[in-house]
Amino acid sequence: MLSEVFVIEGVLSAPTFEGWVRSHADRIGVAARFRESGADSVSVLVEGPPALLDAMEMACLLGPIDVWVERIVREAA
Amino acid sequence: MNGGAMRDQWYPVAIAAQLPQKGRDSLLLGEPIHIATDETGGARVTDGAGRILPIISRYGHIWTSLGQPEQDLFPIPEADQPGRRLVDVGSVKVRCSPLRAVENFLDIAHFPFVHTDILGSEPHTEVERYEVEIRDDVDEVWATKVKFYQPQAAKSAQGGITTEYMYRVPSPTCSILYKTSPPRPGEWDVITLFVQPLTEETCEVWPWMALFDDDSSMTDMIHFQQMIFVQDRSILENQIPALLPLDPGKEIPTRADMTSIAYRRWLKRHGYTYGAQLVAA
Repeated sequence: MLSEVFVIEGVLSAPTFEGWVRSHADRIGVAARFRESGADSVSVLVEGPPALLDAMEMACLLGPIDVWVERIVREAA
Repeated sequence: MNGGAMRDQWYPVAIAAQLPQKGRDSLLLGEPIHIATDETGGARVTDGAGRILPIISRYGHIWTSLGQPEQDLFPIPEADQPGRRLVDVGSVKVRCSPLRAVENFLDIAHFPFVHTDILGSEPHTEVERYEVEIRDDVDEVWATKVKFYQPQAAKSAQGGITTEYMYRVPSPTCSILYKTSPPRPGEWDVITLFVQPLTEETCEVWPWMALFDDDSSMTDMIHFQQMIFVQDRSILENQIPALLPLDPGKEIPTRADMTSIAYRRWLKRHGYTYGAQLVAA
């Protein structure tokens, strides 16, 4: 198991984004806890197997249609 | 009016050397077009109202647009490089989203399973880490440093080699693959997938190649590429959902799908959504 903080940057003001992240985390089987939420940056603690953290990153890079993710910086928790 | 931002792009509609003498009806972005030969022997493409559409003859194909393209067709400098053989592969009509066709072309991980013992083989199924970026200076998607073991990378290959690839997406329905040239290891063979979007769920695929291969016959090179594409066709026509999702939804993309994700992000950024599913089902 691995714990990392995903700092997600972009145009993230859509109210659905946080729920979308939680829902996708549930679907692939990783834990996701929001630490900070802003319109252009959010910070999420993600825990799970390394390959699933990669999968979480890939999904969040695309995100829901009403959000634009510019980049994701992954940091050790 | 269909297509949105995609109306102002160039699309292939015919092979330049095989223009239909009696004309041919087709579709572009769901709208009727007619491809014909004019009095000088050149191509003429008109829309359903008889309006003459702009055309470009390049890379073996006739390209047209329903809109007003602000830019010239993307460059492929290798097309003018001496020693290459330029191959018009033909066309294949596929019941899939034009965006799905491009995405499949970008997918390396399917090689061992769909093109078994040709472009890939078990147990060599791992996709090594590679680099993907959206290049803002040229506004294109690029994947580089892609390496994959292939039993027969091309018609000219003698046995298995680790092939290096680069993928490039210069327009929403076109992709260019650069791969190690078996007879000229310092050069890249160029294999393109030019896709004509007929409707959101059907397309005509026009592959074209610029290869270093002095030995294979033109027929053999065409047959090799057509065989590869026919293997892809049944996969493409059975994908669910039929449209390309721009929200991952029920899909679980992995690191091997980085190129697909970059392609989808680029489509989303530009509003290139003809053939795309915007909200997860």
